[in-house]
Amino acid sequence: MNPLLPFIMAGDPSLESLPHLLAEAKALGLEALEVGLPHSDPIADGPVLQAAAHRAIQRGATPLRVLEVLATCVESPDLVLFTYLNPLLQIGADRLVDLLRRTPVKALLVVDLPDGEEEEFETRLRSAGYPMIPLLAPTTDPQRAKGLLDRRPDPGPGHPFAQRFAYVVARLGVTGTGAVTDLAPVRERLNALRSLSDRPLAVGFGLSDAVALNAVRNMGATPVIGSALVQALATGQSLKAFLESRLN
Amino acid sequence: MHATEFQLPTRFGTGSLGGCYAPETLMQPLLDLEKALRRALDDPSFHSELKTELRNFVGRPTPLTPAPRLAEKLGLRNLFLKREDLTHTGAHKINNALAQALLARRMGKAEIIAETGAGQHGVASAAACARLGLKCTVYMGVVDMARQAPNVARMRLFGAEVVPVEAGQGTLKEAVNEALRAWAGRCDKAHYILGSALGPHPFPTMVRTFQTVIGEEARAQVLEQFSGLPDAVIACAGGGSNGLGLLVPFLGDALHRFAVEAGGHGTALGEHAARLEGGRMGVLHGCKTLLLQDQHGHTAETASISAGLDYPALGPELAALVLDGKVEVLRASDDDALSGARLLCESEGILPALESSHALALLPELAKRGFTSVLLGLSGRGDKDLSTYQTKIGL
Repeated sequence: MNPLLPFIMAGDPSLESLPHLLAEAKALGLEALEVGLPHSDPIADGPVLQAAAHRAIQRGATPLRVLEVLATCVESPDLVLFTYLNPLLQIGADRLVDLLRRTPVKALLVVDLPDGEEEEFETRLRSAGYPMIPLLAPTTDPQRAKGLLDRRPDPGPGHPFAQRFAYVVARLGVTGTGAVTDLAPVRERLNALRSLSDRPLAVGFGLSDAVALNAVRNMGATPVIGSALVQALATGQSLKAFLESRLN
Repeated sequence: MHATEFQLPTRFGTGSLGGCYAPETLMQPLLDLEKALRRALDDPSFHSELKTELRNFVGRPTPLTPAPRLAEKLGLRNLFLKREDLTHTGAHKINNALAQALLARRMGKAEIIAETGAGQHGVASAAACARLGLKCTVYMGVVDMARQAPNVARMRLFGAEVVPVEAGQGTLKEAVNEALRAWAGRCDKAHYILGSALGPHPFPTMVRTFQTVIGEEARAQVLEQFSGLPDAVIACAGGGSNGLGLLVPFLGDALHRFAVEAGGHGTALGEHAARLEGGRMGVLHGCKTLLLQDQHGHTAETASISAGLDYPALGPELAALVLDGKVEVLRASDDDALSGARLLCESEGILPALESSHALALLPELAKRGFTSVLLGLSGRGDKDLSTYQTKIGL
């Protein structure tokens, strides 16, 4: 099982540091990492990731520039590009596929793209090898979850974790704010999801300390750490030191 | 989301605008909301409850006021004003806020979240919540809070909590962002009353449905008073709740329909909120529509003297009507709007909101184009804008 799925915001603390951060993550043995493509209106993100996105945009981390830099990242875990739909729509599916081919990106997580809303766009990306990661929220009942997992299917064990997992949103709300204090409902949801699918599951939103991350691992799922890491990087901590403290 | 899971159409026009581009956390709440809306609309008791409240609390029907002195000044034969400024709370926003609050109560939600730009939707939501005994939290950009201070006080008097939103430009776009985030955190307990005809399905359809009372009344009133239809109908448009509310009931008629956008203080991106000329198709706040954005797909800054029109996207249904040639879009600058306001004040003794003043500003243009009888939607009253008028006109 993959023990940790970290999230970093491309362009924060700087675009120039991105190749180094990814190489460090790879050296730590991380299999996959989520990279945020900064957007002006991140409606599912809390204050930490909003601020990181705005800082990154101000520093010139446009979608094309981020993809250019990612194309230079030879040493990198598999990447999941985490973003919102509009910047991708403006690039267009064909051009996006061309740009992604040069990068370590293996899949996309587009927060405001429910399956079926941009069928042509999503099909083009999937057939080029870039599946959309399904999100499962506390409001997603088992029947709906089954439909979502079927329509954004697990490509199978021959594929890397970055393309196979489903993202389980631990609690209501946005990223970062408010730690999840009671993980019992998450455990129940994970159990219910396992009766629907045997694909790997990652759990995120509101997880930051080592105790919570370990609790998720003990449920057989991969914890996602985002806002706490982004905050640490923004205040000058090293990725290696931060992640080492969360991996054990 | 597969469109089949919603029962009502989620898209508008030949360009298939609208849709439901929402985070997964909000999908089930949106499905539940559509179901509750359909049930309410099929239930005669909802309609009679709404009608009673619109009469007794809001003061509907609002008058259709002939404006003969202004008409004469402009060279029009007839000018009629649909007086949404005379509703309780002073703008058309109450029609939708009250209806959605009633719907929320039917859904068993005791808590309301709302966003506001000019503050009219916030005031309307706060009033409706006080009336129905619901808890109300309103998100408002800090810039808008400063320029619409009287409305902040009114919301607080009605018992609402007004949460300042400091991000970005501190205007309506950021308020919607924050309201959507708040709803994602409390969607199990709260209903989100979106104030404009935008956002993910079913909001655009729902808001339009609750606002067409404006045009339905106006159409019947003008037929009665004028024994015929005007040759042009005109309304201002931010997201489009007022524009659709007035124009949709006239879609089957052989007349010209106009929506007026905020031309701000210039034509460069960032200096206005004119989405038709400056916008491209994009997705913001859950729907696909004409959007002011930069080349990277980031939402552009906007500018307008009027907080209610200062929004980067045109609501998807109105945008579809425009692209399909059923509504024509015009723009009025900040200065035009101030002139429009003065014109109405001096000729008819009515103080319009800055939003409505954008429509008033285009009346000389309609006269020049040869229209002779015009119906104008006066979306709100201008008391909230007095300090802007004082500063800009030098009173």
